[in-house]
Amino acid sequence: MALLERAEWYDIARSTNWTATYVSDADLFPDVMTGAQGVPAEAWEVYDEPYKTSYPEYVAIQREKDAGAYSVKAALQRSRIFEDADPGWRSILKSHYGAIALGEYAAMSAEARMTRFGRAPGMRNMATFGMMDENRHAQLQLFFPHEYCPKDRQFDWGHKAYHTNEWAAIAARHAFDDLFMARSATEIAVMLTFAFETGFTNMQFLGLAADAAEAGDYTFASLISSIQTDESRHAQIGGPALQVLIANGRKAEAQKLVDIAIARAWRIFCILTGPSMDYNTPREHRKQSFKEFMLEWIAGQFERALIDLGLDLPWYWEKMIAEFDYQHHAYQMGLWFWRPTLWWNPAAGVTPECREWLEEKYPGWNATFGKAWDVIIDNLVQGKVERTLPETLPIVCNMSQIPICAIPGYGWNVKDWPLEYEGRVYHFNSEIDRWVFEQEPERYRGHMTLVDRFLAGHILPPDLGGALAYMSLQPGEMGDDAHGYAWVDAYRELRRAAE
Amino acid sequence: MNQPAIAQPLKTWSHLAARRRKPSEYEIVSTNLHYTTDRPDAPFELDPDFGLAAWYKTHRNASPLRHSDWNAFRDPDEMVYRTYNLLQDGQENYVFGLLDQFSERGHDAMLDAGWARHLSRLYTPGRYLFHALQMGSAYLSQMAPASTISNCATYQTADSLRWLTHTAYRTRELSKTFGDLGFGTGERAIWESDPAWQGFRELVEKGLAAYDWGEHFVAMNLVARPAVEEAVLRGLGQTARHNGDTLLALLGDAQLLDADRHRRWTTALVKMALEVEGNREALSGWLAKWAPLGDAAIDAYCRRLPDARDAAGAARDAAAAFRRGLGL
Repeated sequence: MALLERAEWYDIARSTNWTATYVSDADLFPDVMTGAQGVPAEAWEVYDEPYKTSYPEYVAIQREKDAGAYSVKAALQRSRIFEDADPGWRSILKSHYGAIALGEYAAMSAEARMTRFGRAPGMRNMATFGMMDENRHAQLQLFFPHEYCPKDRQFDWGHKAYHTNEWAAIAARHAFDDLFMARSATEIAVMLTFAFETGFTNMQFLGLAADAAEAGDYTFASLISSIQTDESRHAQIGGPALQVLIANGRKAEAQKLVDIAIARAWRIFCILTGPSMDYNTPREHRKQSFKEFMLEWIAGQFERALIDLGLDLPWYWEKMIAEFDYQHHAYQMGLWFWRPTLWWNPAAGVTPECREWLEEKYPGWNATFGKAWDVIIDNLVQGKVERTLPETLPIVCNMSQIPICAIPGYGWNVKDWPLEYEGRVYHFNSEIDRWVFEQEPERYRGHMTLVDRFLAGHILPPDLGGALAYMSLQPGEMGDDAHGYAWVDAYRELRRAAE
Repeated sequence: MNQPAIAQPLKTWSHLAARRRKPSEYEIVSTNLHYTTDRPDAPFELDPDFGLAAWYKTHRNASPLRHSDWNAFRDPDEMVYRTYNLLQDGQENYVFGLLDQFSERGHDAMLDAGWARHLSRLYTPGRYLFHALQMGSAYLSQMAPASTISNCATYQTADSLRWLTHTAYRTRELSKTFGDLGFGTGERAIWESDPAWQGFRELVEKGLAAYDWGEHFVAMNLVARPAVEEAVLRGLGQTARHNGDTLLALLGDAQLLDADRHRRWTTALVKMALEVEGNREALSGWLAKWAPLGDAAIDAYCRRLPDARDAAGAARDAAAAFRRGLGL
């Protein structure tokens, strides 16, 4: 006899629930942190995580994985991939690291909440590995961009972004706090690991790894694939938690959490991934449009995962899918137009060839978004860059913290969805965002958007300069066109030829 | 000439750039990562006062344990994720090498049945205790006011799962040789009602329900952990040596290496806290409340250890010596 198989002792390692008597159950598992929806501890003991691992396996495998990711980085240290990459790719890296690294670290706290307040021992053990995973993801995604700090000040935002009032950072914090950082253990299992990680990050990281390889950035490709293998493991914490909730008559409650989480995750992906895929990625490297990607992974794969668990599709499913056609184009225009307020340089992505591609993938693009871009392009051709820069403030959604926007021009469908609550009027980008607010107004009511703060006099002087200072952006950090407007030359040629 | 300065690229993160010293990998990936401490009135980018926000404002921001710059805390081991796995993979190879070798040698068959009965009472129920430590460290990780503290707590959480894992493994292995002693089935009842464990159960249940982050740290890292380490890892380990159970003694020694690391960062954190006026009173007040529970747990447990002369006194002294070494 030598070593025992893991299966022989695994169940003992997850038989760790006991009945407390020196403090009450409610003291040990307070509802605000546990959120078990009234399902008692015994009912959670059937929880069975589909992906099983143990401490010795974990440290061995993760050691190997880190050796891989760090050695690829070391091997490519002296390559010129970074310098030679398209500036649009560098912008994707900057927006990614700034929006993600400290968010991953926050996810460690969320995993820790499941480790402490989860009612199922299997969940608590898996979340312990989840804590470690998120610790890894934060550290990797700080270590890698740190190397670029001496080359480009905007990479400082890999660490700095979350500590600022830059509007995209506010939007990321608002979404991630609501999805996991400020949620109970049970809510985290459903919203972070099931809805967000199974639904969105898993596929996002797969897509991003493929894009990185296509762009020739093998360091980033190997980093992201390595992270994805952890995600696909700990993302499985959520499924069995949902099963327990459903089996104990809490389907409606579980469904609501899933619906809120998908709504919130969709907005974040729409503004981060949509413009990355359809505009910042150079035309020749685009494999799929953002819409095709979303239809395949979200409307296809994730829809099946929801049904398989016995859940329904969110009530707004068709409305959300309809947004795949336009919302990220509107966000892209906002990102580029308000470019001094970003920590990365957005690529316009609207060369004549790009527009052909956009029209093919999104019929009608030229008659709507294209018309608005035409005005910008006219100004740039005439050398009036100042007319393409913002002077006013947008109306910001009280849920997503992103400007309210939709289709301009012939397809105009921009609409505010207001709500009066306790004497204050809130503004929303869509019926979906407003619905999220209505589910638990006390989570959101006292929050002020960047524009609310501006109007309340918190931002001084009350102009763009004051707003930039409030967002901790100074020249050298503020975004500008990724390609230094070189793409406008093609339009100059076209106009000269037309004359 | 009042143009705003143009920010130039820096050699490191701007928050580390003011210092002359080149930052270590540890500092690059570990420092200032909690954004929820930036605005004391609103931990989250949500309503400032809803349930979870109130929890953080009460139990973290309003803790009697105060420091104007918790982010200055540094783990003396400068542990990062990458080095943690390197270290612990090596440690686990050692431990599973022991398990393999002792199994080959037919270790359990050579154990005395009387000793095995002690193991079923005093050793294998310990997985509940280790799991409670795991849960407690996870609480500290999410509530600590600096990422450098949270990271130590995260690795400590994983180490506790490690101890639990070793115990679960041995529980199953012992059940194969001693099928009638309740290994793998009887532990919960023993944990919940055997007098040997009730002191520890009271200590950790109350410690887990101490939600002020500073008090939780005192209850668990200054009292419960040293008590567990001295009574269960060291005390039981010594008894094991007297009963031909070298394996258990060596396992305890291996786990104590983790405990030594936990004590190093715990010591550094207490030292940092004592720089600030008022913290000595806060820490001492909590110690006065928790240390007696720790001593009572040690007494209840060690009294049941066979062949141990004043194990309780030795464990109590060692735990107190650790605390005295902190300047408390």
